[in-house]
Amino acid sequence: MAAPGPAQLPALQGLLKAPSKDAVRQLCQECFSSPPAGLGPLALRTSAGLALSPAEAEQLVSALHGLTRHVVYRGLTRAEDILSLFPETFHQNLKNLLTKIILENISAWRNEAQASQISLPRLVDMDWRVDIKTSSDSISRMAVPTCLLQLKVQEDVALCGNSPVVSALTVELSKETLDTMLEGLGRIRDQLSAVANK
Amino acid sequence: MGLLNFTRDPVPEAVSGDLHNLNQLSAQQFSDLTQVLFSFLTEPKEVERFLAQLSDFATMNKISLGPLKNIVKSILLVPSGALKRNLSSEQVRADFIALGLSEEKASYFAEQWKVNSPTLTRLAVGQTLMINQLVDMEWKFGVTAGSSELEKVGSIFLQLKLVVKKGSQTENVYMELTLPQFYSFLHEMERVKTSLESFT
Repeated sequence: MAAPGPAQLPALQGLLKAPSKDAVRQLCQECFSSPPAGLGPLALRTSAGLALSPAEAEQLVSALHGLTRHVVYRGLTRAEDILSLFPETFHQNLKNLLTKIILENISAWRNEAQASQISLPRLVDMDWRVDIKTSSDSISRMAVPTCLLQLKVQEDVALCGNSPVVSALTVELSKETLDTMLEGLGRIRDQLSAVANK
Repeated sequence: MGLLNFTRDPVPEAVSGDLHNLNQLSAQQFSDLTQVLFSFLTEPKEVERFLAQLSDFATMNKISLGPLKNIVKSILLVPSGALKRNLSSEQVRADFIALGLSEEKASYFAEQWKVNSPTLTRLAVGQTLMINQLVDMEWKFGVTAGSSELEKVGSIFLQLKLVVKKGSQTENVYMELTLPQFYSFLHEMERVKTSLESFT
């Protein structure tokens, strides 16, 4: 995510018309969270709220989105790094306020970015039960334990938007299958410890 | 005939006749035939081998293959019923005698039944219905280096591919787990193992 250039950031000075610091905070959050497609409607609301022309609101929202996303992308954590993004002539107090707001939110925004990154369907829940099979058509008396495992898997968040699709898969495992699975999982755990200890 | 242990249904007429015919085999011949039968019962997929062995037996002992096959069909009724009903070797012996087989041969067969029944039982249990049986699990884990939103990430991901048998086809299910989820999953699976072990 390229840094917003010196031509774009002055548009942020429209924020000087904001009624309160909290309003600025709110707008920063909304601009960060909004996908590029959502910036249009956000700009309209901002234009009304801050008494700016639609064009000015659009530039403001776009610049704020770009700025917040850039800081999160680069993982900037020091005030000096953020301050240096603004042009020399930028309003001093507004620059300090924005830097402060960004620093407050940076770790929450980072988590938000990580949670919404693309991935395979994610495991969201698992349940299990153990049954004993006592009889079947091939053998009338037995006592065979078996495990039923239900995995709830959620499709990629980015694709589902606000209505995530969760599908449940129930699998049956015999004792042998479970032992083999545990062997595999144990190997993963050992490798993870090896990596962690390096 | 009296009540049989291996079945509640009436036995086909031909069975008695077939088993009486068996009495004419020598002890050695009967022993060889029994061997062929049990090697088929313990490996039911080896149909061609079974038929080949029967054909060899027929040739070596100067018996026609057609009647031999009928006799074999009759004999096999007893072990398959016995397996379903968890019969003891005593009960198998009694049924053969009731059907007309000589005591000596019935005892021999029942002995072989006793020796082979653990294998046969395991096979029958293995054929029992399983819903969405898990047949394979593949995994990989690694580190997410970066993304379009975050230049440097450095978080660990774990991906699993589960191969599930649905009817006669297999279906692949892919999923991703975070590290805490993985440890929780491992912990739960260990609890399942403890539970399953306490019931064996």
